[in-house]
Amino acid sequence: MSSSRFIGRISAFAILVALANFVQAGGNTLVLLDNLAIKETHSIFFKSLQERGHVLTFKSADDASLSLTKYGEYLYEHLIIFAPSVDELGGSLSVEGISEFVDGGGNLLVAASSSSSDLIREIASECGFEVDDDGAAVIDHLNYDVKDAGKHTLVVANPANLIDAPVIVGPKSSTPLLYQGTGLVVDRENPLVLTLLSADSSAYSYNPDNAIGEYPHAVGKNTALIAALQARNNARVVFSGSLYFFSDEAFSSPVQKALDNKKHQVSGNLQVATAISRWVLRESGVLRVKSVAHHKKGEVAPPASYTIMETVVYSIGIEQLDGNKWVPYKANDVQLEFVRIDPFVRTTLNYKQASGLYEVTFKIPDVYGVFQFKVDYNRIGYTRVFSTTQVSVRPLEHTQYERFILSAYPYYSSAFSMMAGVVLLSFIYLHYKEDPKKSKSE
Amino acid sequence: MGQGGFGDPRPKRSHNVDRNSLISNASGWKSLITFTVLALAWISGFASRLFAVIRFESIIHEFDPWFNYRSTAYMVQHGFYNFLNWFDERAWYPLGRIVGGTVYPGLMLTSGSIHYILHSLNIPVNIRDICVFLAPVFSGLTSISTYLLTKEIWSPGAGLFAACFIAIVPGYISRSVAGSYDNEGIAIFALQITYFLWVRSVKTGSIFWACLTALSYFYMVSAWGGYVFIINLIPLHVFVLLLMGRYSSRLFTSYTTFYILGLIMSMQIPFVGFQPIRTSEHMAASGVFALMMAVSFLKYVQTILTKAEMRYFYTVAVVGAGSVVFFIVVLLTYAGVIAPWSGRFYSLWDTGYAKIHIPIIASVSEHQPTTWFSFFFDLHILVTTFPVGLWYCIKNINDERVFVVLYAVSAVYFAGVMVRLMLTLTPVVCVLSGIAFSHLLGLYLKEEENPSAQDSDSETEDGSSEKSSRNLYDKAGKLRRMRHEQIRESDGLGSNVRGIVVLAILMMLMMFAVHCTWVTGNAYSSPSIVLASYGQDGTRQILDDFREAYYWLSQNTHSDARVMSWWDYGYQIAGMANRTTLVDNNTWNNSHIALVGKAMSSNESEAYKIMTSLDVDYVLVIFGGVIGYSGDDINKFLWMVRIAEGEHPKDIRESDYFTERGEFRVDSEGTPTLLNCLMYKLSYYRFGELRMDYRSTPGFDRTRNVVIGNKNFDLTYLEEAYTTEHWLVRIYRVKKPDEFNRPRIPLSDRKIKRSKIFISKKTNKRKKGSIKNKPPVVKGKKPTKTA
Repeated sequence: MSSSRFIGRISAFAILVALANFVQAGGNTLVLLDNLAIKETHSIFFKSLQERGHVLTFKSADDASLSLTKYGEYLYEHLIIFAPSVDELGGSLSVEGISEFVDGGGNLLVAASSSSSDLIREIASECGFEVDDDGAAVIDHLNYDVKDAGKHTLVVANPANLIDAPVIVGPKSSTPLLYQGTGLVVDRENPLVLTLLSADSSAYSYNPDNAIGEYPHAVGKNTALIAALQARNNARVVFSGSLYFFSDEAFSSPVQKALDNKKHQVSGNLQVATAISRWVLRESGVLRVKSVAHHKKGEVAPPASYTIMETVVYSIGIEQLDGNKWVPYKANDVQLEFVRIDPFVRTTLNYKQASGLYEVTFKIPDVYGVFQFKVDYNRIGYTRVFSTTQVSVRPLEHTQYERFILSAYPYYSSAFSMMAGVVLLSFIYLHYKEDPKKSKSE
Repeated sequence: MGQGGFGDPRPKRSHNVDRNSLISNASGWKSLITFTVLALAWISGFASRLFAVIRFESIIHEFDPWFNYRSTAYMVQHGFYNFLNWFDERAWYPLGRIVGGTVYPGLMLTSGSIHYILHSLNIPVNIRDICVFLAPVFSGLTSISTYLLTKEIWSPGAGLFAACFIAIVPGYISRSVAGSYDNEGIAIFALQITYFLWVRSVKTGSIFWACLTALSYFYMVSAWGGYVFIINLIPLHVFVLLLMGRYSSRLFTSYTTFYILGLIMSMQIPFVGFQPIRTSEHMAASGVFALMMAVSFLKYVQTILTKAEMRYFYTVAVVGAGSVVFFIVVLLTYAGVIAPWSGRFYSLWDTGYAKIHIPIIASVSEHQPTTWFSFFFDLHILVTTFPVGLWYCIKNINDERVFVVLYAVSAVYFAGVMVRLMLTLTPVVCVLSGIAFSHLLGLYLKEEENPSAQDSDSETEDGSSEKSSRNLYDKAGKLRRMRHEQIRESDGLGSNVRGIVVLAILMMLMMFAVHCTWVTGNAYSSPSIVLASYGQDGTRQILDDFREAYYWLSQNTHSDARVMSWWDYGYQIAGMANRTTLVDNNTWNNSHIALVGKAMSSNESEAYKIMTSLDVDYVLVIFGGVIGYSGDDINKFLWMVRIAEGEHPKDIRESDYFTERGEFRVDSEGTPTLLNCLMYKLSYYRFGELRMDYRSTPGFDRTRNVVIGNKNFDLTYLEEAYTTEHWLVRIYRVKKPDEFNRPRIPLSDRKIKRSKIFISKKTNKRKKGSIKNKPPVVKGKKPTKTA
């Protein structure tokens, strides 16, 4: 908070422009903690963030001075809540405030635990997840770590259960993950929610201290351990049921399943947590539309309106954020639709190496109306690329129709012969002198 | 005095020529009086059409005129060819509309050329003022052409009567008040002048007049779709004349010239295109053309063959030719070359047809069958006198009177089918009533002719004009016989009877004038975009909600914003707010209208799907419940349902909107489908909170006089953007999909219930939150672990 104010004040100084850019690349992050001890127990995670250029502001979750906005502007780009047991947030923060923050484009990383508060549960359900009841923990009697205290809640998560999206969870590896915390239930009807890591089929989520009285809320693979949401405004939310997942302890401890002799020297948590944090803090998988251009073939500027059956060239530039600079994004599955209620043309855009643009040339159908060039590129982990450009396609003008059609020649000739005939007839009629006597006698 | 005043004109005329002094020159008097009467008719017709301008302002009225105005303005700005090629992407989003090819351009061309002429004379007049005053100006031309037509059919005196009638008759004023800038305003003039020229050309048999007929027919085609009436009535006239054995070379010349030229010229209008040779509506004309050729051929053959041969040949030829033509037409119709009758045409014969098959036509109030009341309302005394004139015409039939008889009979029928066609009846009613009054007065004033011409005042005008007209009127000798009959009839009347009758007639005419003025002032001079209501003390309150809303739209929305509304308001939104509309009054695409109707009659989430697929930004509804305006969208709603049902019978069913007893009601007994549909919600959103005054219950709808059934509801996918002062127009913004950023899980759908109800402990002063199990920090003490 203070650094942004500071920068705002002295940004005129050219020497600090570089610093300003550096800070903007990472963005300001507010970290809310149950107690400041977490800053120490999760130091590796926070340090990795700081190393990547993020400015972290640590606050206790009940701090009376908490505020996300100032003068209607957001002070932070990202919000990390590592405070599973906060009953009520301090200052002006509330569940509504956090959902507004997400709706305003802010990114959110929340870690719960087996003793999460209702507030965390509220935030979760605002985003399409549910955190299991207070006290509930993910239990797996087959895949628990050797270090487990006996309740089988220190679960060894199989990396094969990670979502198949390297942009979010990093490259595939076989190192198992350590997880201790509550289970998440994901809204199946919500198309935006992604289950990043799910439990094994032998897991379930229930209070380990109680006998099972009712059917658990989350059972088997339906138990989400880490879930994500990319909202329609491309704001990103990650919910982890385990705060432990991000801790130094989990990052550095060896993993060995109790029923398995295979031992891994160090868990895969660090890689996955780093990848997830890169995703949620908008370091990876961020795309944008750089430019959109369309024109008739052989021309440069877009016309006021197209005419039916014309050939049109459409090009779009899509860029990806790499570090803090934008580079062209290359893919072979970007499609263009030419839509008037329904798509009339749907074609794949070709990436041109030279210009770094996607381009396609197609013929406008024989239909007039108001059309839209629509590119809707939706891939898991990437920001949604959506671009519409409205153009009108008009019918032929009265001068644009074909003239002198071959099949009309009989009509032309009949018209002209008629004209000639009339001229001839009137000439004869006017100048022919009948012999009056003869005609009368007849 | 009808033709009672016509003697044998020839000797008198020659007599007049001898006496050259101005006072005694009857032809001079006649011209002066004719000129004066026509000028007065023009002026009074013009003046009585100005109620709307004086009471409100110089503004374009209603719905269609707004489109006409908009396209006229476009034409004036961009030129004729650009207008012809105008592709309006702001209408019928996303289909667009080719305006040049779907419009009768006569109206725009007329006012555009007036504008051009005035501007080249350095008279700067705004195109809007030309549009506003075009119809009143043309009403004067209509009365002149009516005068000419009546003069052609009967006598100049009757013509003057007819001209005066048409100048003020409400049936015509209803479509031609200042601001009512619509096709009909100039089309009635075109209709009358075409009929006049046709009658003239039949009478003279000259190619010149037939060409002029075709030209004015061309103007009519360019101006109004009602030209179909002409192209069927004139062939009918010809056909009936042929049946009556009144074939003549005059008829042959005039019809063939008119038909061929008219056909070719009418096809030059892009909107008409190939219709004249491809649709059934126009087939009668070509059939009669063929018949005409056949008959003239027979006439020619008749000169060669003997009588016996002729009779045989005649029957064979007539039957043969008739059946051949008929079968060709049937065959072409089957082959698809000739389009079958259109739905609008069927609805002219079967008044129930439109209601079942084409609800979009039936939904327009002016397409409803006419009530007897509106006959009287629009025509007053003329409705009783016009059969009299018709009777005189039938009694003294000749070629051109056959025409007016057919005109009258067909127009009466059509006017009975549709309120709107009252307009085509009105001119012929004026013509025939003019004949009737002129004839009657001629009868009853005959004896007093000489004295009354000098001193009596009000009759003098009629009387003397008729009297003087006899001198110039060069009529065939046929009339002479009728004159003798009438003289014989009127012989037995005493002067008292005459006086009483004349007074009664004058009284009726006076009452007619009073009625016309009253109707014009009270019924037909409302611009309908500005409403006026009168308080109990007679004070006038102007409700300018429509323009308020449209102005809001034009100032507060993105210039490409797409506004969904029922089609009635499409032209106004385009004209006043200059925003893109989905459907408008052009109603050319039924399925697009049905889509909007479906959105309006579905529930909110279904409607939202339709609205997103159509990229709707704003929804506009008209709601009259606060001020008791009955023309609002809820009252039109059943038509939306019906039109939607026509295209989407699986999703929308009209019966869902009726209660079990078959009632359409919006109170608590209304059906749930109705109480939850988009139209209901948009009309009554927050209406449940509104209390008109302290006596009435909240949510009391003044239009339908009920308390609404569904009061407290929220809108999910839309938000109220603007509601005008009297709630007449309500505009809602459709939320974009990204405003439903994260589909949250509502409380009721959650699997994991909350353990307790959360109560905030924060106050204005104490902003600290709370954390479970957090060790309390006391200043100056070391934190101790509790748990």
